[in-house]
Amino acid sequence: MDKMDNKVLKVENLSIAFGGLKAVDNLSFDIDEGEIFGLIGPNGAGKTTVFNCITQFYKPDEGDIYFRTNTGEVENLVGKKTHEIIGKGLVRTFQNIELIRELTVVENIMVGAHVEFKASLFNQFFRLKKTRQEESRIRKRAEEILDHMGLLSIKDMLVAGQPYGVLKKIELARALMLDPKLIILDEPAAGLNDSETLSLVNIIKEIKMERNCSILLIEHDMKFVNGLCDRICAINFGKLLAIGTPEEIQGNEQVQIAYLGKEDD
Amino acid sequence: MNSKLMNFYKSHKPYSQFLLFGIILSLLPLLVNLGLVKYSLLTTVASILIYSIVALGLNLLLGYSGLISLGTAGFMGMGTYLTAFITADLGLPFELALIISVAVPMLIGVLTGLVSLRIEGYYLAIATLAISEILRKVFVEFDFVTNGFSGKQAQYPKLLGFLQLDRNGTYILIVFFLILVMVMMHNLVNSHTGRALSTMRGSEAAASAMGINIYRHRLLSFAIAVSFSALGGVLYMHFVKYTYPNAWILMLSLNILAVIVIGGVRSISGTILGAFIVFGVPDLILKRLPIIGSIDGAAYIFNGLLIILVILFYPNGLINMRFDIQRNFRKLFKRGEDLNG
Ligand SMILES: Nc1ncnc2c1ncn2[C@@H]1O[C@H](COP(=O)(O)OP(=O)(O)OP(=O)(O)O)[C@@H](O)[C@H]1O
Ligand SMILES: [Mg+2]
Repeated sequence: MDKMDNKVLKVENLSIAFGGLKAVDNLSFDIDEGEIFGLIGPNGAGKTTVFNCITQFYKPDEGDIYFRTNTGEVENLVGKKTHEIIGKGLVRTFQNIELIRELTVVENIMVGAHVEFKASLFNQFFRLKKTRQEESRIRKRAEEILDHMGLLSIKDMLVAGQPYGVLKKIELARALMLDPKLIILDEPAAGLNDSETLSLVNIIKEIKMERNCSILLIEHDMKFVNGLCDRICAINFGKLLAIGTPEEIQGNEQVQIAYLGKEDD
Repeated sequence: MNSKLMNFYKSHKPYSQFLLFGIILSLLPLLVNLGLVKYSLLTTVASILIYSIVALGLNLLLGYSGLISLGTAGFMGMGTYLTAFITADLGLPFELALIISVAVPMLIGVLTGLVSLRIEGYYLAIATLAISEILRKVFVEFDFVTNGFSGKQAQYPKLLGFLQLDRNGTYILIVFFLILVMVMMHNLVNSHTGRALSTMRGSEAAASAMGINIYRHRLLSFAIAVSFSALGGVLYMHFVKYTYPNAWILMLSLNILAVIVIGGVRSISGTILGAFIVFGVPDLILKRLPIIGSIDGAAYIFNGLLIILVILFYPNGLINMRFDIQRNFRKLFKRGEDLNG
């Protein structure tokens, strides 16, 4: 883990295979503090698998994932338990929205601060002072985030039945609860219409400015990626194609061949 | 005049509702003493309340954590034998017996969970089924303490070493514990642990990503469910005053599952409603009907049919009928207003 100054995440020689298929193949990239970093590639390129390796949903076959945690220390995430990751300051969303239908919008978001709750079981059974304090403090924070996203009016509705664009925003809101150092978003704009996408771009920019965090995102919508990302990493068949600014990536021939299609020269 | 009381009632829901429910239940012994209802009704209602406590625990496990236990009856039975042994054989105080008879089954539950919950949730169903059968064998074979098939006896509880309860007093104690368990359940499911359980049931991926230790929370909810079963067993023992091995068979565990399915998954009031239907209707209504009353196993047929109907029409339990009823009432009122207007 030689140089980690200014870096929040450093992925080194990451590989994972499923059966004979190398889903990620010796991939390395790093993310600066405060950067919005895009990961692009055609369907099945291995993007979500990279996310799953970073967040320890999958255990990589090879490679290291160094992360500068909340406390400023650098830790290798490989081998950590999946549920330990969020406490270090790294939180994710999912490509196929993972929200809880039976809970209300605000309750879903409060789950994002689960690790912050310290009240004992006994304390919760009798709703003693500590439970009440934690509940109201964290509910208030959840409502502030909802307000910021213009969703305060639906806070007490069930998640089941909300439109797709709203669900995407709720998942993003849940990821903000603990003030993470790095947020990773798996296709945040998929399925959104133009105006929803535009508002999402603004929300993500605001998050970066106000929370002083870094963002790693996967997205197919090139306009979205180019307008938002400081740097982009393009992969295909699990292998690195190129890393660079949006202009560099657009101009890169290999990327054009693999991803953008040869025809639009 | 009563508006202050009404405001208090409204602003303290659902606790005030639970309290009111407890008060109404506590009136039953009075009605029996006045000769307004039959003596045996108290026994039926007491057992319904005991099964409600047990079913609330199972609802936490099934409805919130998405796990199934088939060992409910076994853990309940274990509670009965333990408390009978500690109070009747050892002569120790009821309070101590209560604590030990809840703690020991809980520990065994945790051990069962430790081995079965690590891999997949549904192993719990198999493991608890096995444990339950082992426990029943123990009830039969360890006859030097359990008296084998002849069963074991205990007395009404003596509180704090001097307050000897009678049948009515024990009934009130059961009501007290039911209301306590309802309050605890309500509080738990509305705090972070309850949300964590719902999250892991809805999406294990989301739960892990949000820092929820799935294994730990599965164990926790199972331990709570077992404790409530054992508590039910203790109360049963000191009310019925008699326990025997064949009271704790798989059929009872399934009936308690039926309570939840019929009454309402993830609902406290639904669980109580379900207990009244599953354990009350056969005793109070079916047996009194001509012809049907004389059919052996009418209760099973009734419960079976009811489960099918409920799954077809109210998949989340009969408690959701209240929304339909409210809606229809509102419609009626609307129509009334339209006609008037
Ligand atoms: N758990 C798994 N078991 C087996 N194969 C897997 C698993 N997860 C991913 N794969 C395979 O790895 C490859 C990469 O999948 P991945 O989901 O990472 O692609 P992606 O780049 O996110 O694609 P998309 O843009 O469609 O979301 C695919 O061939 C996929 O089938
Ligand atoms: Mg993907």
